[in-house]
Amino acid sequence: MIPRGADGIRHLAARLVADIAPRAGDSYTSADLNMMALLVTMVAQDYDRVADVLVSDYNDICEIFHEALPHLDDAALASRMESVVGLNAPSLRVHDQSTRTDAALRVLIELHAAIEDLEDHGLPWAARLNGRIWAYLARYVARRTYQMDG
Amino acid sequence: MTTRAQTLSRCLSDYLHHTWQSPTDVTDLARIPGGASRETWRCVARAAGTARGLIVRIDPLSSLIDTDRRTEYLTMEAMYRAGLPVAEPLLLEEDSRWLGRPFSISAEVPGCEASPEGIPAGHRVTMGRQLWCLLGEIARLDPLALGLDRFMSLPTVATCAMEQLEYWRKVIVDDELHPNPVADAAVRWLLKHPPPPPQKLSLVHGDYRTGNFLYTPDGTIKAIVDWEMAHIGDPLEDLAWSLDPLWHWQQPELAGRLLPHAEAVRHWEEASGIELDVEAFRWWRIFASLKGMGIWISSSEDFHNGASKDPILAIAGWLMTDRQQQILLDYLRPAPTRRFHEVMK
Repeated sequence: MIPRGADGIRHLAARLVADIAPRAGDSYTSADLNMMALLVTMVAQDYDRVADVLVSDYNDICEIFHEALPHLDDAALASRMESVVGLNAPSLRVHDQSTRTDAALRVLIELHAAIEDLEDHGLPWAARLNGRIWAYLARYVARRTYQMDG
Repeated sequence: MTTRAQTLSRCLSDYLHHTWQSPTDVTDLARIPGGASRETWRCVARAAGTARGLIVRIDPLSSLIDTDRRTEYLTMEAMYRAGLPVAEPLLLEEDSRWLGRPFSISAEVPGCEASPEGIPAGHRVTMGRQLWCLLGEIARLDPLALGLDRFMSLPTVATCAMEQLEYWRKVIVDDELHPNPVADAAVRWLLKHPPPPPQKLSLVHGDYRTGNFLYTPDGTIKAIVDWEMAHIGDPLEDLAWSLDPLWHWQQPELAGRLLPHAEAVRHWEEASGIELDVEAFRWWRIFASLKGMGIWISSSEDFHNGASKDPILAIAGWLMTDRQQQILLDYLRPAPTRRFHEVMK
């Protein structure tokens, strides 16, 4: 176990760029190594944040579902939302957390489409909820943003 | 030289000997970095006392884009005949027995660079003018007069936008590894706000942007490359793709890192004879970002499933998806930050 894994992975990327890629025998291999180094820097960022990203996403989506449920007439959609709210991931492993968040995202997409239609009918609560979903999507995108040098 | 290159040299020599009916020696074979849709090699072929630089594009086991080599080759032929700057297409070989996979060969355009990073600062404006004037010239061409409908499907002005949308929507649905709520919202918006029909149907390059042309150090664009996504459609599709913020991420004020956006549009309008319809253009800009998502999602799927271990596919799937989502979000959210909106005309 490497507790400071993100730092360690970043060091590997730096070594690839500074020491190994310059010794590549041809431009194709050099380009390949530099791309791998870039990927490794992204892996370093994900290593540190992925659990937080997945759990935060799930919790945000559940809050949106709680707010939407009292307004929805679509019983089938409401049932799917309630199922998601009650989901327990079998472990804290990334794969299990990812599966649970993906399940929540799929139902959120359905809800978003339904809310857009309801907003078109001039329902104020739908407009408010649509705004909340977009605010969540902004957080969803921000959580996945890679910080790159240059 | 790697074992792969040695084998390839020998196989290419055999193929060219057979095709040209003259003993041919293939040397200086080197893989060109950056090509994501085909495996691209440069070499020199010597036959009958003449040496010629060649570019060999071999079908990949997997690539960023599932494309049709015949469409690419025949489009290049049509463009070459029309006098547009493209590498001269020489041979299309669809029989896998020669190199293990189908491939095409074109003439090397000598003395050129392709890297956007290498563009001399002093030549940016003139190269930008060339880039969008050339795109306007392509838009002005009549696809039927060029015979493109012999190998491309011919949409109508009423259907071309939705056909493209359906194609890329399906790519996303088929290839996504995780749900994509922003891309899904984009699809719904595009379906709900169809664009007006184009003023004309044109040849659409499909990936027209900085990075897909060859230039000489004096700032002359010598060849437009990567025609594998060419089709007939709305000329605004290429304009929108060429102006997608992804291509000027570090310098958002410069279209394709070359010149201000309004100038790019003006050059295109003058060369194409088409006046930009701002509302239609908005639709095509959002579509362009959705198409980008489709390409990055598809490449990510190939990498994830091990169909290809090429790191460029992984970068597309991670970094490009991240950035394209930021762009789409800003286009669509009710309270945009307008980080990317200034570039609209």
